[in-house]
Amino acid sequence: MRLQRCLLALALSLFATAARAELVVAVDTRLGITRLSREEVVNIFLGRYRKLPSGQAAMPIDQPTSSPLRKEFYRRLVGKDLSEINAYWARLIFSGKTSPPMQTENTEDVGPLIQAIPGGIGYLERSQLTPDLRVVLEMAP
Amino acid sequence: MPLACLMLQPVHPLLFALALALPIGVAAEDKDPPRLGIKGFGTLGLARSDDSDAGFVRDLSQPRGLTTHWSGKIDSVLGVQANYRFGERTEAVLQAVSRYRYDNGFGPEITWAFLRHDFSPEWSLRAGRIGTEFFMLSDSRLVGYANLTVRPPVEFYGPLVFSYFDGLDLAATTQLGSGLLRGKLFAGHAAERAPVAPGLSWNLQGSRMFGGHVDYLSGPWQVRLGHTAIRFSHEMPINEFAGIDVLGLAPQLAAQGTWSHYDSLGVVYEQGALQIQGMVNRIHNETDQYEDSWAGYLIGAYRLGNFTPYTGYSQTRSSPLSLPAEMPAAQAAVIRYALSYSHSDQRTIFIGTRWDFAQNLALKAQVDRTHGQPDSRFLFRETTSGWDGRMTVFSLALDFVF
Repeated sequence: MRLQRCLLALALSLFATAARAELVVAVDTRLGITRLSREEVVNIFLGRYRKLPSGQAAMPIDQPTSSPLRKEFYRRLVGKDLSEINAYWARLIFSGKTSPPMQTENTEDVGPLIQAIPGGIGYLERSQLTPDLRVVLEMAP
Repeated sequence: MPLACLMLQPVHPLLFALALALPIGVAAEDKDPPRLGIKGFGTLGLARSDDSDAGFVRDLSQPRGLTTHWSGKIDSVLGVQANYRFGERTEAVLQAVSRYRYDNGFGPEITWAFLRHDFSPEWSLRAGRIGTEFFMLSDSRLVGYANLTVRPPVEFYGPLVFSYFDGLDLAATTQLGSGLLRGKLFAGHAAERAPVAPGLSWNLQGSRMFGGHVDYLSGPWQVRLGHTAIRFSHEMPINEFAGIDVLGLAPQLAAQGTWSHYDSLGVVYEQGALQIQGMVNRIHNETDQYEDSWAGYLIGAYRLGNFTPYTGYSQTRSSPLSLPAEMPAAQAAVIRYALSYSHSDQRTIFIGTRWDFAQNLALKAQVDRTHGQPDSRFLFRETTSGWDGRMTVFSLALDFVF
């Protein structure tokens, strides 16, 4: 119950800020990557080609389904609604191709997961960044 | 993770209090994604036409069509899929689908049952029962939620009676210029049957097939060139269908042992709210039993909030066959009549909208207006002598995924 209320409060506070959020795509500093193009981030998050410039396989991490950040991220990345993103994944999942990004249950797990998973890459609000994370693409509104 | 909860800014006082109140460990969870995932998709569809001189079907895997009464049979489908991960790179997928099929029933079928291994971000191999990709998007044409229209354009996808095959496919992806170049090769054996007439079906099981395609994806563009070939291992029951010994009189009509070739070119453009899809295909049959055909379609859609209105045009035409052998006129007439069932010459204009009214749910309404020649019968069932080639179809569909 408490967890749910925490999440609800989180969702509400994020909702108000999502539209003007400073969204960034980040990886672990240890990967040694400084920059990714928008196209590369599209390829990684839409499961077209999940490879980092370092040669390592990329493991994208999604914000929770209900997160306003997720909605905002895909809007800024490819100009698509979440329903369109869901339809896109329905095609790939049910034709047995690529899997969608791993999805966290809580928005605050994204940062730690980026570091915990080899090749982890995620998007978050700039204020959620920790010193171990490196911004590789800024998602301007 | 109460600590991480605290790091969010701006920190709401209520949030702060809640986070403090959270017992340590409650939110800590297993970081490994679950190994087993069960998902599903489905459509509740209703459609009717304004014509009782021909039965409208979604594709030729369906034995009987709908006419002037609302019917749920041609578009309704339910699929359940289990994915099991053996590790980061290996996955098993099992999918069962129930839909209106060749034997006039809804018996569930195992449509996918394969192992996928990603050797690297570039190379991926699947082995087992896999979806066929004769044309772009053809392996997801039962997943209504993934598609814009109520059903894939019948002129283009209607001749496809193959949904899956037993074999393997190998896919490779590489960067080329500013985009991605992707290629796939597949080979195996067909595993289905196709309806011919009520109570009569063509066994396609064991028919050898292979093919491949090349995709180029760049920005909003995706282009695909594909080819598939299939060699029929069983004879089409044309003798039973015609009621005379057709193959004895005209051996060149045999389908067994002959190849059919499917070529296609598809282009998809998706920029923000705008979606455009266009494809052309050509089907060449070595047997003289089926006419060669070409088909094409174009769909345009623009999303306005939760609504995505769309419109499209599709067309197909086949080349009439000639019967070279001399034979008694009465028998020639019967054979000609049997062969005329593979002729098509028609075009359809359709308009509709998709409404994403809730998460994982979409409602669609569509009207199709077909103008064809009276001898355009291939894509219909049970055409009568009154068939004039013109039909309007009204469709509603509720698509869902879970």
